[in-house]
Amino acid sequence: MTAEGKVQRRRRRAGRVAGNSILYIVLIITSLAMLIPFYWMVITSLKTEANAFSNPPQWWPHPMTFSHYAEVFRIIPNFGRYFLNSIIVSVSITLGQIFFDTLAAYGFAKLKFPGRDTIFFLFLMSMMVPSQINIIPMYKMMGSLHWLDTYWALIVPKLTGVFGIFMMRQFILSIPNELLDAARIDACSEFRIFLKIILPLSVPGIATLAIFTFMGAWNDFLWPQIMTSSDLMYTLPVGLAQLQSKNTSNWTQIMAGTVLSALPLILLYLSMQDKFVEGMTAGAVKE
Amino acid sequence: MNKGPAKKKQGGFLRGIHKYGTAYLLIAPPLLSILIFLVGPMLVSLYWSFTDYSGISAPVWIGLKNYHDLLFKDKIFGQAMWNTVAFVLIGEGAGPVLGMLTALMLNQDVKGRSFFRTCYFLPQMTSFVVISTVWKMLYSGNGLFNELLGFLGAAPVNWLGDPNHALLSVAIASIWQGFGFETVLFLAALQGVPKELHEAAMMDGAGPLRRFFAVTLPALKPVVVYAYIVGVIGSFQLYDQVYVMTYGGPMHSTTSIVLYLFTKFRDLRLGYASAISYILFVILVLLSWLQWRLFGKEEEA
Repeated sequence: MTAEGKVQRRRRRAGRVAGNSILYIVLIITSLAMLIPFYWMVITSLKTEANAFSNPPQWWPHPMTFSHYAEVFRIIPNFGRYFLNSIIVSVSITLGQIFFDTLAAYGFAKLKFPGRDTIFFLFLMSMMVPSQINIIPMYKMMGSLHWLDTYWALIVPKLTGVFGIFMMRQFILSIPNELLDAARIDACSEFRIFLKIILPLSVPGIATLAIFTFMGAWNDFLWPQIMTSSDLMYTLPVGLAQLQSKNTSNWTQIMAGTVLSALPLILLYLSMQDKFVEGMTAGAVKE
Repeated sequence: MNKGPAKKKQGGFLRGIHKYGTAYLLIAPPLLSILIFLVGPMLVSLYWSFTDYSGISAPVWIGLKNYHDLLFKDKIFGQAMWNTVAFVLIGEGAGPVLGMLTALMLNQDVKGRSFFRTCYFLPQMTSFVVISTVWKMLYSGNGLFNELLGFLGAAPVNWLGDPNHALLSVAIASIWQGFGFETVLFLAALQGVPKELHEAAMMDGAGPLRRFFAVTLPALKPVVVYAYIVGVIGSFQLYDQVYVMTYGGPMHSTTSIVLYLFTKFRDLRLGYASAISYILFVILVLLSWLQWRLFGKEEEA
């Protein structure tokens, strides 16, 4: 190898090292930019009110206090109730969607019936409709059913989901038909086939569906905001927006409320990361 | 059961019920849900959009007046349209690009990839209400951002209070919240691009930039189109962020279409609000169709 070649190679390696360092520096800076708002949310909730906006900013709460968390419950006695409402609503919607979406997905994926493709197309189209378009008639409909400001209005219209059906259909399509045919020869009913074959094989898909449905329901704002009017029926996002408009200046308390309402999903995400990623990409990447 | 010849004619039908009954039973709940909670209300909403309706007295037919007023007279709605379009352009201009850049970085052989991915994706886990509340604090007069600016010797910025850049401030928070979705989506797709394609292009002496545009981007096209369609539809429905951070102000500089719809709903102008929702619907359908025609078509060929 010529001397020139060696120099060139060394230069290239130096370039790669430099490129790598830049890569890491950019990655670290951008991730800090992602984490700092969360960090600031948590430490503000632990600062004394006087120190919340001190100059220069306090990067570590000193003295540290947990009293704002108790204050949230004192100022808004029903904060615990918001929490409970969010859990009741999100869990019910999630269970409903697991049940109804998976069954319907099985129908679309593995059974033949007249009108199947037309109905599936109608389902897909309905995903394009913005939810705001029906919210006003729904408000009147819920009113005439006397469902306004009850769990019914928050839960029943959300018990099935087209995205979930679409996702589970993709999943169930990949289960080989031979398995089902064998069961049919053994005179299993469709329901039994679903219970004994489809369901056990769909567990990963169902887990993803569950996580996403729960997340959507937990974070939903406009729907519960319109459908509820009494303090006892608010979900966390509605209650949080309320807390914020009640005392705009006391950020330490507001942040305590924010931490409380954000924490469950962040913990859920950190413990089930891979499922999240899998589910997110299922619709788009898998063909 | 009597198996007499009289029953024979019905046999086909009964067998049909028996044959397909299970299937129809399976899809009945979501089908009914869509018909009752979506298609029905949509038709009602369409009718109301041609009426003057307060929700209390019966709707009065006024033809196209709501639409005419919205499109030609209502200055605030015009502003809300413009604000929403600007928000979509800023958000969809920056979000997917940031998502692609971060995904490309993470697609290198980096240590701690899943940690970085977690960081970018973390805001997705929290509601817009939470994120917007936190950013409202960061944006406040003596909040963290202005303190940092002061540290750098720059003058403080009235982030949310100045009509000239309130919308931009809302958009920045939303981009920060949202681009991790694209990071994760694109990263998963990048890992599916066959290595041989890259190596072949490298053999031909293509630089990294050429390789990206000639090999990577075409391979990722379906995912990128998906991300844009989902992103544009989502951004057009801007509501939570402006409700929490600015409530449309100052001087309507952050009023979005959906926020305006909400205020008309609160004012009990249900016919007018319905017309707003239909304008939004038509925009979304046209945009989805346009994006599909422009970018999605080749996929089928």
